[in-house]
Amino acid sequence: MNTIAAKNLHSLRTLTFNIFRYDPKRPEVKPRMDSYQLEEADAMTLFIALNELRETQDPTLQFDFVCRAGICGSSGMLINGVPKLACRVLTKDLPATISLAPLPGFELIGDLSVNTGKWMRGMSERLETWIHTSEQEPDFHKIEQPMEPELSEKLYELERCVECGVCFSACGTAQMRPNFAGAVGLNQMARFQLDPRDERTDADFYEVIGDENGVFGCMTLLGCDDLCPKELPLAQQIAYMRRKMAKTRKGLF
Amino acid sequence: MKTVHTDALIIGGGIAGLRTAIGIKRAGHDVIILSLVPPKRSHSAAAQGGMQASLGNSAKGQGDNEDIHFADTIRGSDWGADQQVARMFVDTAPKAVRELAAWGVPWNRVRKGDNKSIINGQEVVISERDEAHGLITARNFGGTQKWRTCYVADGTGHSMLYTMSNKAIAEKIPVHERMEAIALIHDGQRCYGAVVRSLVDGSLTAYIAKATCIATGGYGRLFRATTNAVINTGIGAAIALETGVAQLGNMEAIQFHPTGIIPAGILVTEGCRGDGGLLLDKDLHRFMPDYEPEKKELASRDVVSRHMEAHIAKGKGVQSRFGEHLWLDIRQLGAHHINTRLREIKEICQYFMGIDPVTDLIPVRPVQHYSMGGVRTDHRGESPTLKALFSAGEAACWDMHGFNRLGGNSVAETAVAGMIVGEFMAEFLSDDASHIGVSTALVRSFMEREQEKLDQLANSSGTENPFQLMKAMQECMTKNVGIFRNEERLKIAVAELLELSERAKNIRVYSGTAGANPELVAAYRVQKMLKLSLCAAYGALQREESRGAHYREDFPLRNDRDWLCRTLASWESDEQNLPTLRYEKLDVRRMEMPPGWRGYGSKERIDHPDTEARQLQVDSAAKQQTDRYQLQQSLMPFKHMLPEKLRGRNERLDEPLANTDKAGTASGRLNNRSHKEAL
Amino acid sequence: MIIGTVDLGRPTRLSAWMDIVQGVTGLFLVVFMWAHMFLVSSILLGKDAMYFVTRLFEGELFFGRAFPQLVSMLAFFILTVLFVHAFLALRRFPTSANQYRSLHRLIQGLKHKDTTLWYAQVLTGFILFFLASVHLYQLISHPGDIGPYATSDRIYSERMWPLYLIMLFVVELHAGAGIYRLVMKWGIFLDSNPKTMRTRLRKIKWLITVFFIVLGLLTLGAYMKIGHAHQDAVSQRYHPAIEQSL
Repeated sequence: MNTIAAKNLHSLRTLTFNIFRYDPKRPEVKPRMDSYQLEEADAMTLFIALNELRETQDPTLQFDFVCRAGICGSSGMLINGVPKLACRVLTKDLPATISLAPLPGFELIGDLSVNTGKWMRGMSERLETWIHTSEQEPDFHKIEQPMEPELSEKLYELERCVECGVCFSACGTAQMRPNFAGAVGLNQMARFQLDPRDERTDADFYEVIGDENGVFGCMTLLGCDDLCPKELPLAQQIAYMRRKMAKTRKGLF
Repeated sequence: MKTVHTDALIIGGGIAGLRTAIGIKRAGHDVIILSLVPPKRSHSAAAQGGMQASLGNSAKGQGDNEDIHFADTIRGSDWGADQQVARMFVDTAPKAVRELAAWGVPWNRVRKGDNKSIINGQEVVISERDEAHGLITARNFGGTQKWRTCYVADGTGHSMLYTMSNKAIAEKIPVHERMEAIALIHDGQRCYGAVVRSLVDGSLTAYIAKATCIATGGYGRLFRATTNAVINTGIGAAIALETGVAQLGNMEAIQFHPTGIIPAGILVTEGCRGDGGLLLDKDLHRFMPDYEPEKKELASRDVVSRHMEAHIAKGKGVQSRFGEHLWLDIRQLGAHHINTRLREIKEICQYFMGIDPVTDLIPVRPVQHYSMGGVRTDHRGESPTLKALFSAGEAACWDMHGFNRLGGNSVAETAVAGMIVGEFMAEFLSDDASHIGVSTALVRSFMEREQEKLDQLANSSGTENPFQLMKAMQECMTKNVGIFRNEERLKIAVAELLELSERAKNIRVYSGTAGANPELVAAYRVQKMLKLSLCAAYGALQREESRGAHYREDFPLRNDRDWLCRTLASWESDEQNLPTLRYEKLDVRRMEMPPGWRGYGSKERIDHPDTEARQLQVDSAAKQQTDRYQLQQSLMPFKHMLPEKLRGRNERLDEPLANTDKAGTASGRLNNRSHKEAL
Repeated sequence: MIIGTVDLGRPTRLSAWMDIVQGVTGLFLVVFMWAHMFLVSSILLGKDAMYFVTRLFEGELFFGRAFPQLVSMLAFFILTVLFVHAFLALRRFPTSANQYRSLHRLIQGLKHKDTTLWYAQVLTGFILFFLASVHLYQLISHPGDIGPYATSDRIYSERMWPLYLIMLFVVELHAGAGIYRLVMKWGIFLDSNPKTMRTRLRKIKWLITVFFIVLGLLTLGAYMKIGHAHQDAVSQRYHPAIEQSL
């Protein structure tokens, strides 16, 4: 049986945080790395550490956390160069010197805060990430349409994406081509393609992802697949959409 | 002065706000949503376990209907709920689930034939009907007689929120992200919108709207130990309170969830227990049957949380360096079940505690979880005292939860209230009387007042640090306004909060007022949050009885005779340091379900003098009338209170809809299309 | 597709074709190169074996006599395929200082194996384009210079060995990475457990690469040895044991 030890078994260290600082609204102050020292605490996450830094050392420090439980996808940032959800990274799993930087590929709001929301809304509008039906209003008085239990589970598997932006920041293609739909977009297309409630045909999906900003732009660098905090099978879903799109009959030009 | 005009302003981009906005937009009005964060990051996403709706598809839900859902909800509320609103809710919940199903939520489905499940620690086989195959299934939750909680693994809120948000995008509803409403614009009679601060550049904008809706969720961050997200500060409720006109209802009704993990306080869904998880003490003894022989781990949350804390107080807690805790054991559910239907739980255990719930026990302890209280509204979602101010979801005291909310009823409320309030707001906007001729002077005065307040924080000669005040407030609330309350502790709480409020007048923000400025944000928030804390603590001190989640050690009985009423808090002037409390009586004589024993928890209570007579009426009506719809109608009519398109009956496998039963809805049929060739 | 205010035009079938053709040409080149490695490594079985293989490719078995032009034609075809493949792959290269910088920052920060491997693929591809072109041009222009002695002399006495040595490593790295990426790209062999399968595929990829590099080194060594022994008679061609015994 597991027990939580009465005392902490790890020795607590003094942590050094090197944090990227820049406020785009004050371009006269150049981007820099600020250094902070903090006593490590037991079970300390980066959520706890950053809040403590803000509350005790630098109240101007900007970062984003919402649920602080790895569910909402707000806290994506580069932790020692690697994009992760900061809220669920324990300091005990990091070296004593920790560098933090904002997710690349998104508009910077300030310091560690980036505008993933704007990007995701743009992606959603562009790829139309919703169920398309010819019916205007479902008749919710009637018993719902049945769906195979396995299919509903499969759909949820793909819908677990939290739009945190980590895949996009871990993607070489996205770093070179800002208009790339990214794994987040392509995975959502796979989710809707699989959903019988969505009446769009493969040719319709081709319209939005059948080019270099869509599925044919992916160079299969697989950063998305390895770093997705939700461990979604992104490589497989992109491959699936690629096969579907490659088979789509459509005029050459 | 920056101004934005719109028909409807929705403050809050969670499920309730989004659904309300969709209803308004579909009726042809302009609507803007304000959100502190991108809407898909709203705390609705954290609702894991599911949404209650009496579909009656699965074997364990067979025979379920609105009546049973209603009874469970009222018992759960400890008779504190508005029964007509609860009726509106249970009647609309199946419609909400089905609407979401059509919009894309991948609800888990019934699988025909034999399915293995765990009930009461034993593996059982549940046989599902052939005709239910593929329909939306349900899991067991606390305080319910039927398996009624529809779910999407343990990411129900996530799926619902994404579907709703995507729908809002499809409807081209603008969401102004990272915007915080810091004051409502009003003239003492009517609300005209809000003064809104940008969390990106710190600028103020006046949003002028014919109707405003607060859908900002709960106020869990008044507490240190909470499952709530950092955005659940209750600012929506606070700005309503600060109008001095709108009232907050039942602010002392605060739910503590039995299973928050140690030490982070992150939620582990009730679905764990619903699916067969057990609570164990330090001797690995399953203690809940000792206290609740019938419902065991699945009594309502207030009851389970109290037993857990009492059990710890008896010395049965597990010692750890994070304090004492108990165990949640879901190992018997097996790897497959945990890896598919409790995935988020598995992840949380892995990342925050380094344990695997397939083989390990989960350390848990009750933590603040839900705010039953909020902006008091009528059944239409509008404030009875401030016209054109609406509220929906956890932010509101629409009052279907009373003093304890049932698991699965919150995320259900968000979608249902969104549907209902959205219709009523649209109706309000369609009326010519909704037109406004707000004076620019009024708007300007509100803008200037707010700007002055912010400047004051930055230019103050004070020395107080907003972060420290926030911490002290949260500590005070957790310590003194928690699961077990008494006069002594509540008095300490009120005194401490009053002192903190005084200190909060001397906050000095060193980083100025420009830009995003997290320090300034903490400063104006803590001032507002202290008011809410006082409403909760002072309300709890005054309420000398135990009802639902409000438990007074010095008044352990529910007292229907003196306290069958709703607390209404208002804050008329900046001069006063405590809220004005008024009480709104609940009329036993009009209740469909007069107060009684909940079926779990304490059996003793002080009855209301009208209860017996009303119970006799109800019993005799039940003998005379065999049709459940007509019986209900005779006891407490409510259908007329619903928007017209939501009045129809809900179809079930066991209750097919005759065409004549369907009350005037003009909805189209879901098309019966075969699966795509891709499948 | 509209991004921001810019209409990028509707996606056409061309994008799909380019992706497919890049993959197909890559696959063809890898398969050809592996076959080619087996063929040249026939020297390890003896000079006769290699001689036989050479004659086979010059068509002697079918036409009764050798037509080195066949080799020319084959080499020309391969060169064409190579050009097409390289042209399509160029789409993926960073083309501006900005792109180059972002990419470098990503690779350095991320330390992600498959991303770094991709960059190695870009670099090896770039190098290969020139080395393989030289190699193929040489075969197009001197198709007859293949044989146990001719080849050995070219490698040893004409000092072509550094080219082949570099090319061996470069081509095997590029081909291994390419074939692995191709499999991942189209999602073949991923089945129901994509994560495990991918780890397995990556292992197989490295095994294949190492195998061919070892085979290549042995082969190159064998030619060097023959070339060294034959350095005094560079223009002399090999006559198989059967002919000699006649």
